[in-house]
Amino acid sequence: MSTPALVPAFQPADYKSALKPVWCAGCGDFGALAALHRAMAKLQLEPWNTVVLSGIGCSSRLPGYVETFGFNGVHGRALTLATGVKAARPELNVIAVGGDGDGIAIGGNHFLHAARRNLDIAYFLMDNEIYGLTKGQAAPTTPTGDKTKSTYWGNPEPSVDPCELAISFGATWVARGFSGDPKTLTELMTQAMQHRGFAFLNVMSPCVTWRGDDQFKILKAKLKSLPEDHDRGSRAAALAYTRETDTMTTGVLYEVREPSLVERLEGVRTKALKTGPVTSTAEVLRAFAPAF
Amino acid sequence: MPTNDLTIAMVGSGGDGVVTMGDLIAQVAAREGLHAIKTEAYGPQIRGGEASCTVRIASKDIFAQGDTVDVLVVFRRADFARFRGELSVAEDAVILAEADDPTPEGEVNLTGQGGVRLVQVPFGELARDSAGTPASKNVVALGILSGLFGLPEEGLRLAVSHKFGRKKESVREANTKAFEAGVAFARSLTEGFEAKRLEYVPGEPLLLMSGNEASAVGAMHAGCRFFAGYPITPSSEILHFLAEWLPRAGGSFIQTEDELAAIGAVIGASFAGVKSMTATSGPGLSLMTEMLGLSSMAEVPTVIVDVQRGGPSTGNPTKGEQADLFQCLYGTHGDAPRVVLACGDVQDCFHATVDAFNISEEFQLPVLILSDQAVGQRKETLPASKLVHEVLDRAKPTEAQLVDYKRYADTPTGVSPMSVPGMKSGMYQTNGLEHDADGQPASAYLVHEKMNAKRYRKLWPIRDKYHSFRRYGPEEADIGIVCWGSSDGAVREAVIAANARGEKVSAFVPQILYPFPKRDFERYAASVQELLVMELSYTAQFYKYLRTFLRLPEGRTHVFKRSGGRSLSVAEVNRELRRVESIASSREMEVAI
Repeated sequence: MSTPALVPAFQPADYKSALKPVWCAGCGDFGALAALHRAMAKLQLEPWNTVVLSGIGCSSRLPGYVETFGFNGVHGRALTLATGVKAARPELNVIAVGGDGDGIAIGGNHFLHAARRNLDIAYFLMDNEIYGLTKGQAAPTTPTGDKTKSTYWGNPEPSVDPCELAISFGATWVARGFSGDPKTLTELMTQAMQHRGFAFLNVMSPCVTWRGDDQFKILKAKLKSLPEDHDRGSRAAALAYTRETDTMTTGVLYEVREPSLVERLEGVRTKALKTGPVTSTAEVLRAFAPAF
Repeated sequence: MPTNDLTIAMVGSGGDGVVTMGDLIAQVAAREGLHAIKTEAYGPQIRGGEASCTVRIASKDIFAQGDTVDVLVVFRRADFARFRGELSVAEDAVILAEADDPTPEGEVNLTGQGGVRLVQVPFGELARDSAGTPASKNVVALGILSGLFGLPEEGLRLAVSHKFGRKKESVREANTKAFEAGVAFARSLTEGFEAKRLEYVPGEPLLLMSGNEASAVGAMHAGCRFFAGYPITPSSEILHFLAEWLPRAGGSFIQTEDELAAIGAVIGASFAGVKSMTATSGPGLSLMTEMLGLSSMAEVPTVIVDVQRGGPSTGNPTKGEQADLFQCLYGTHGDAPRVVLACGDVQDCFHATVDAFNISEEFQLPVLILSDQAVGQRKETLPASKLVHEVLDRAKPTEAQLVDYKRYADTPTGVSPMSVPGMKSGMYQTNGLEHDADGQPASAYLVHEKMNAKRYRKLWPIRDKYHSFRRYGPEEADIGIVCWGSSDGAVREAVIAANARGEKVSAFVPQILYPFPKRDFERYAASVQELLVMELSYTAQFYKYLRTFLRLPEGRTHVFKRSGGRSLSVAEVNRELRRVESIASSREMEVAI
């Protein structure tokens, strides 16, 4: 993505839209939004060359609160929209945001394939371990045994760790952050947007309404930084910090450099153009003329 | 007397090369400027298995694939049995059957009808003797067809040489020998084939193209530079063509994980300012339906081709039907304006696709193109001069519109200025949520009513500008046929033949189904005594749809509907004309009594 100018033209406030978030007081997403404004300012992203896309959910309202081009799409499909935007206009800064239900449940298949393709975007998943907008049902990230509106007798299903999925699906940059630690989160978002390829950041973002006041405290108590000597190029080392129970390690778990989707599509074009560029319909029609 | 119109079918097993035969005959027809329509049918096997290929070749204009087969080549009678329901053999057909057929004697009777002439041909033996391998029996057959029925001999010789010239020289030589052996064999049977001999004057070479290829070429012509799709029969040829050609035009192609992702990526790319398309069949369109609503709500130009197949669920993937009509017209949650175009033949696939881009780019809404297997997968010859179509590009917001820019500003046409990322003063939020003029979520019912009205208002200028239809036959007629899509060809031929017999029959074939060309249809309905609606939908979707626009004449409206799986035939149209005629005349008698 674009490099910072010498004299900062954009302050974090410049990325803040006039719209007031609909989020509940105390929602973790406020922290994520503030960190995003700051990270964008750090990178001096030109707002008009930046697109923030989302699906549906509490956190998917975020594009409305960022002063860039925005697309609040349909549930689970943010990454499909982002794929089209980035493939069609590789020069744009493309950021997808959403929640754990949107990204891991209904949108899970697209998560797999966006990661596999190494789609050149940053994907910020605000993980509150619950469905907030539909008022408190279990998500794939809700811990086993937890009582929610849809798990009256306690969640009978195991949960997943989105970071573990991202690493195994082929994401080339995977990190975990905490909305209650805005400084680290800003840094992680900045790095994610600079990464060439699919950068996945799982932002633990407490839901005060449906997960209770305790969630923030519990997460904060589990908070741990990655050790200095963590080998982020190693898939095995990265996976050691997934599926944690008593800790929540934040930082860049995994980072490798692989050709991105944009680079691969460019490769296809280069190869195709060697057989001769096509500039008119007449040239296309020649393929249907008798060959003998 | 020789003929100017010949339908040839070939039936065999995998490896018999019947599809290659059909391809070469159709290619030679194109080279000689003859009109040809080629169709294929397969058994359920992924590779190998029985296959049939039919080519209608004529020195006059043809619009349908041919009701009955004049010449049939059968390499294995057991394979023919599989296609019996699909291949009607003419009463005076010539059947060339492999003399050395392992199918038990008497198990499959080839000569069911009176005047059929059965010729036993040692295809395998002739191939072995000439080319050294029985694999060349299809080339032997080509030689025989050319010798007996007047197919362009020199053209076929070149076709064989070209086809096998890409392999080893010995292969080319062997097949050339096989072709000559066929020609020589034909000479030994010269008598009695005159009526099936094709007579023609060569013309300018034509193109040979399938409907799906025409859709893909239409997209390229319209300036489509992004395609995302998921393979599904019978639409995949569109995806195959664009996978190869879009990158050569500097575009991008992505095979997505499913149809949800396909339409999502198309909406994303179009939002970013690049003309984009996806293609699918009925089940895939069902998956896309939610985001069809998004395209409509967010007003993002989106082009979707639906190459219809038969039935709900997996249905009949390799057969056509006209029963996705309601899905295309009404398939949505909420009120979601869209445009639906229809393709009656191969060139329609081209024009409908260009129109779809022109309409969607100008009016910022989804445009669906309803093609079907019968049109999408058949190949037709046509002149390049028929594939010309004006291309319109998306309007950029004016300077004035970019001052206090409102993406969803209400306007007299309902079309609002659409900026694209990169435009400094054009930043906006687009939204699947109901929104105000700025694109900000707004759930007040008055906003919803106002925005619905704005989005639907776009349909009026579309109807004024794109009310295209085909009209066959005299100004006033006793019977008027209304049909759509791939039923066009058979209806058109039936009308031409009826008019030649002096019957007053006409037809009306809308090329845009939504918004429906209501006034044109009203005028048409007033020009006929009896109205006959013909369609391949078990529940008569098209008839029901027409009724929503017009009180069809009571007692004088007739419906022919059946499931798809087989194209409408000219014979079916004729039969219906007779039926309507007799109903009409018995009613007149009642009045007289």
